[in-house]
Amino acid sequence: MAQREEILTEDQYRAQFYRLLGRLLACAPDAELLSRLRDLQGGANAIEAAFGALAAAARTATPDTVAEEFQDLFIGVGRGELVPFASYYLTGFLNEKPLARLRQEMAQHGVERAAGVSEPEDHIASLCDMMAGFIVGDFGAPMPLAEQSAFFDRHIRSWAGRFFEDLEASQAARFYKPVGALGRAFMEIETVAFQMAA
Amino acid sequence: MTKDKRKDGDTGTAPRRDFLKLAGLGALAGATAAAGTARPAKAASAETPSGSGYRETEHVKKAYELSRF
Repeated sequence: MAQREEILTEDQYRAQFYRLLGRLLACAPDAELLSRLRDLQGGANAIEAAFGALAAAARTATPDTVAEEFQDLFIGVGRGELVPFASYYLTGFLNEKPLARLRQEMAQHGVERAAGVSEPEDHIASLCDMMAGFIVGDFGAPMPLAEQSAFFDRHIRSWAGRFFEDLEASQAARFYKPVGALGRAFMEIETVAFQMAA
Repeated sequence: MTKDKRKDGDTGTAPRRDFLKLAGLGALAGATAAAGTARPAKAASAETPSGSGYRETEHVKKAYELSRF
């Protein structure tokens, strides 16, 4: 992990952001994570306001309430309220071309699904996880910004904002409402920041 | 992959860096810095929470784990 020193502070923050989103969208937070989220400081801009709202939501949540909410939102009986997969958002069906394209690209980058994971790779949590890994170099050398931007463009930008909006607007979401706001704001920031580097 | 003029280095990225700084992403680091150093070994463990978790195929064979943020 010697390469980590070369990563700009702002990019480390981006990676942490992706990791947090990935973690929260992969499974409900446990007591330890909830207590850490309670310490987040609010502020004036979109991200900071969402942090403040997330901290407040974490203060009233328990592992049981967030587990139940996660179940309703993403698992449900047969299907949750939301289906956080690129293929679903882009085509209306799971396991379609967007997933195939993602798998090809993952193979090129030497990334594969971890053992024991059954969800298709185009789950929002997986994509956030991959972005974090590309930024800090978990899959080899840190990925150059231009390539990160291209990956983001191909697999995330076209639908993730809509997903986060849906999460924010969901009737079943309490704790996850500010997670949606956070994700939406972050996607906008990423889009603008990539354009600035282009 | 050949390096592009200025896209992946320190040079030419000042506006982007400033923009990201102002965006306030750093609040996350403040709140979670202690937690990050408290669980350094997690990255190499084989434990993967349900949902996702990615692993390199050949080069490093390092299990990639979600909860380390």
